[in-house]
Amino acid sequence: MSWVTLTIDGQTIQVEEGKTVLEVARENGIHIPTLCYHPALEPYGACRLCVVEIIRKGWSSLHTACTHPAWDGLEVKTNSPLVRDVRKTIMGLLLSRCPNVPIIQELAAEYGITAPPFPVEDPTENCILCGLCVRVCNDMVQAHVLNFSGRGVKRQVGPPFMEKTRQCIGCGACTSVCPTGAIEIVLEEAGVYQAKPLGPTAAIYVPTLQAVPRVPVIDTDSCIRFRQQDRTNGAIADACGACQMLCEANAIDFDQEDEFLDLDVGAIVVATGFEMWDATKLSQYSYGKSPNIITGLEFERLSNAGGPTGGEILLADGRKPERVAVIHCVGSRDHNAHEYCSRICCMYSLKQAHLVRDKTGAEVYEFYMDMRAFGKGYEEFYERVQEEGVVMVRGRGAEVEVLPSGKLRVTGEDANLGKLVAADVDMVVLSTAIEAPHDASEVASLFGLGRTPDGFFAEAHPKLRPVETNTDGVFLAGCAQGPKDVPDTVAHAGAAASMALALLGKGEVTISPAIAYVDEQFCSACKTCISLCPYTAIGFVEADNVARVNEALCKGCGTCVATCPAGAITARHFTDAQILAQIEGLFRIPVIEIPNTQYPIPDTQLPPTKESNHER
Amino acid sequence: MAELYRADVLVSCLHGRSPELVSALKQELDRRGLAGEVKVVETGCRGFCTMGPVLTIQPNGIFYTDVQLADVPEIVEETLVKGRAVQRLLYKEPATRKVIPNYDAIPFYSKQMRIVLRNCGMIDPQSIDEYIAVGGYEALGKVLSSMTPEQVIAEVQKSGLRGRGGAGFATGRKWEHTRKAAGEVKYVIANGDEGDPGAFMDRALMEGDPYAVLEGLTIGGFAVGTQQGYIYVRDEYPLAVQNLRSAIDRAHEYGLLGSDVLGSGFDFDIRIVRGAGAFVCGESSALMQSLEGKVGEPRAKHVHATDRGLWDRPSCLNNVETWANIPPIMNKGGEWFASIGTERSKGTKAFCLVGKVRNPGLIEVPMGITLREIVDDIGGGPPKGREIKAVQTGGPSGGCIPASMLDLPVDYESLTEAGSMMGSGGMIVMDDRTCMVDIARYFIDFLKDESCGKCSTCREGIKRMLEILTNISAGLGKPGDIEVLESLAKTVQLASLCGLGKSAPNPVLSTLHYFREEYEKHIAEQFCPAGVCRALIAYQVVAEKCKGCGLCIKACPQEGISGTARQPHAIDQVKCIQCGACFEVCRLDAIQVVPRSAVTVGSNGGNGYKPVREVVR
Repeated sequence: MSWVTLTIDGQTIQVEEGKTVLEVARENGIHIPTLCYHPALEPYGACRLCVVEIIRKGWSSLHTACTHPAWDGLEVKTNSPLVRDVRKTIMGLLLSRCPNVPIIQELAAEYGITAPPFPVEDPTENCILCGLCVRVCNDMVQAHVLNFSGRGVKRQVGPPFMEKTRQCIGCGACTSVCPTGAIEIVLEEAGVYQAKPLGPTAAIYVPTLQAVPRVPVIDTDSCIRFRQQDRTNGAIADACGACQMLCEANAIDFDQEDEFLDLDVGAIVVATGFEMWDATKLSQYSYGKSPNIITGLEFERLSNAGGPTGGEILLADGRKPERVAVIHCVGSRDHNAHEYCSRICCMYSLKQAHLVRDKTGAEVYEFYMDMRAFGKGYEEFYERVQEEGVVMVRGRGAEVEVLPSGKLRVTGEDANLGKLVAADVDMVVLSTAIEAPHDASEVASLFGLGRTPDGFFAEAHPKLRPVETNTDGVFLAGCAQGPKDVPDTVAHAGAAASMALALLGKGEVTISPAIAYVDEQFCSACKTCISLCPYTAIGFVEADNVARVNEALCKGCGTCVATCPAGAITARHFTDAQILAQIEGLFRIPVIEIPNTQYPIPDTQLPPTKESNHER
Repeated sequence: MAELYRADVLVSCLHGRSPELVSALKQELDRRGLAGEVKVVETGCRGFCTMGPVLTIQPNGIFYTDVQLADVPEIVEETLVKGRAVQRLLYKEPATRKVIPNYDAIPFYSKQMRIVLRNCGMIDPQSIDEYIAVGGYEALGKVLSSMTPEQVIAEVQKSGLRGRGGAGFATGRKWEHTRKAAGEVKYVIANGDEGDPGAFMDRALMEGDPYAVLEGLTIGGFAVGTQQGYIYVRDEYPLAVQNLRSAIDRAHEYGLLGSDVLGSGFDFDIRIVRGAGAFVCGESSALMQSLEGKVGEPRAKHVHATDRGLWDRPSCLNNVETWANIPPIMNKGGEWFASIGTERSKGTKAFCLVGKVRNPGLIEVPMGITLREIVDDIGGGPPKGREIKAVQTGGPSGGCIPASMLDLPVDYESLTEAGSMMGSGGMIVMDDRTCMVDIARYFIDFLKDESCGKCSTCREGIKRMLEILTNISAGLGKPGDIEVLESLAKTVQLASLCGLGKSAPNPVLSTLHYFREEYEKHIAEQFCPAGVCRALIAYQVVAEKCKGCGLCIKACPQEGISGTARQPHAIDQVKCIQCGACFEVCRLDAIQVVPRSAVTVGSNGGNGYKPVREVVR
């Protein structure tokens, strides 16, 4: 890379070859106005606003700084009277085309133009035909939706034939690069432009405002580049890449992959948490049929100050709700879904009812079966919410119907009244169940954990050992073990951590000597024992082609010993020979030499049955 | 072996009635049993447009003009059977009515020097044999057998040939740059995207002598070191496309294209790419974009096409006329070519002479000839009773040169200095009935549609200039308009992206420079002295001159003229639409053009303004 020296506005600058005059000027704090330039896109030279006077080999001429290479020996004047004069005329032309675009008004004012100097044809025209959207759509996103059509004064930007096209992926890149705000993304009711109502807004985002570390992540399902890679099975990766190009810290690495770490540890706390139950599984609640039917978790996002509405509780169309229904036990205590109680829904539903009342003043209907306000202060909160005017309907919410007007009709039985009741509301919050993660069985087999019928991991003893598992050194914390609210989870997790620390603090483990071992001479490598061992204590040693017992894990249960078809496994201190010997010993009555006495042998010393006595 | 004929009838003007003429001739020859003796040849353009269709009978060189279908039997009987010229079809000197039987002696031709157009109208453009018979492909043979590429380039440099597309870049230097540019793959390209209104030099060349273009391009390919050439032709020239296609096929058959050209080991092929008719595609970077299959839009050209052109490879783009100049230069040597023309502009240049001259047509003149020679001697001067007002050169982006400067020599520098340009060779002669505001408006209107619209100055600037010009010609001009027009024109000229935009203000700037008072009259006096801008004029009968003949009464489409016989007539200004029909028919100059303000108009204002009429009539 060679260096070139040029002069910009009298300032001598030395830069690496290969940059444009505009780039060099900006790097050195020299302001040149632009409208059609974006650092991530090929320079285009359409707006002509960045014209500068370039003197080369004694010849002076006007060029656009965005396209002109920074050559050695150039003398550039970015603000000469001629340049200002020409820019002023250009601003007059642009302002007459788009009189109501703030950035053009501002730039024009900089050059002393306050009103359009030429007749305005269309005051709503916002597009200056800078081509940024066309370039981003074709070069970066490679969606090839936007392009120019028409020539001269008839030139315009749009999709082919100015019609809606399914090619548009609704990425919004065009709107974000448009300098004048002339492009608007319109969400269609259904189909291609449908955005997730409360989903992430861009392919790169900071997961939550409280995220630690607070760095953005790329959503590979939405990222244009990753999607292209998926389409082509990883063959091509040249789409977009705008983030990488623009990141000054050079922190974006598309090749980064999941890493696998091998760690030797002394204890493991399984805190894999829970998943929200999918409310579409119970079709009577019409989840997904109206944007105003949301789950409790979505309500949390809506009500969050960092959420899409800044914490305001609004309907999908931006109105404030006037009536809200909260339906408890959606997916819980239900023979068609989960039979267990999810424990947390009652209290979060009450909290949400309180928030709705507090923020919007809307009427709230709580359809509940039993109110489980079991924790400290919970009952008092329940009372308070009732005092706030929340209507409690005792009985399962049976159905949610989307009315043609867009309103939602909730029907259910009021068990207290013994009547069917219905309420037409604007918003329905479904207090969905929590359930074990979908991959809990894989985690269970990895750590040798048991699972209770509800799908959560089984503790060693429901009352006495609630954080331990049947595998030594593996502990449970939080909802991995079963539904818990926050205080319970904190307590449970604290206990698990203490257990783990106690184990580590001791530094050593005492194990029972009665464990299995494989007589490798006889092992036929059938691996039957491995699949049966409840403690995952048996491993297979490929090198020697034998099964081998991990002595620290073996609990000496003997399953493998009994199963081994080759009879190669023996339980230490509990060998067949020992057992047989004991049995033999049990049956052998010592022959009592009767001394020369006439006393008979007392009955109690005789073997238990008459038969055996007889046999003897 | 080709058959032998005792006579050839060369028929030109194939875009007029000639196709019927050809079939009539063939029928007549058949009927008289002469089909085996006389050959009818369809040739390219002879350039003598007012006299078309023209016929040349060889070997005696008899030149018939304005031949009608009914003349065919007489021509066959008299000339082809009896060997006599049909007197009434020969060209007559307009002034003296003297008959000139051979075309060389006709002033229209005698002042010309035909190098590029040497074969146009002389040979059958579809026949490679005829091209070879007149010396075609000698140059290529010479180059491939006895010259190195460097020698070829040196010869072109010696000739002083400059680009005939308009900008006038030295051709030899362009070739040298391309040859020296880094890269294995290079291209030579012929620009045949002739889009100027009223220009047809390139068309005549591609239609009338396609082999000359192919030969020039092949020599160029050899010189810059490439195997691929392109010819970019606008699709509005179907005959050019057809003739070039068949010429490429024939050249392949004769081993003059393809692998191992003339056994020299040099491989070269040419592809034709048809343009869709955008004027801007004649601009080099837009043309290359279009060749690549993209939208024909110019790119910023800080790096020359000779380094990074078509598909980012070194490309040598020249106008078809430039390429057609190459074979004669190779044959006769660069010094011969350099002996023609001026100090800095060498050789000849083809022009399309149109407008208010008696003999409009396709001409080729040596550089340095004066405009007056072209207009008066070749063009035959203005129509009777008119005066030359200006000559517009360089196509829509060229400028107007006033009559006072007609002694200006025609070369690149002089024209540019005068505020116009050489361009690809359009030349429009304007008389005193041409309004310069209207002319500027006409060209800007053309450019409004032909600007690609990419850069804001060209797109918006042209639009606004047109707005102001239309206002001025509609009588809505206001003081200060001229200054705004000037500043707009300056900005568009300085800040536009490509050559089209940079030269677009030329019609405005040059007319403003030479005819500013005419603009001022339009605004201040609300009058169009040329009588073109209808909103500003009125027709009036000069009572003293009017003899009351009634011709104007018949001519008026509005029935707006009244009067009794032998009494001065009167024009009803309410009905008058300023069509000028009365003005045209009056033989006594009794109808005059006056400012609109000079006449009393009816209560409705009665200005009946209609769009200004076509400029080039």
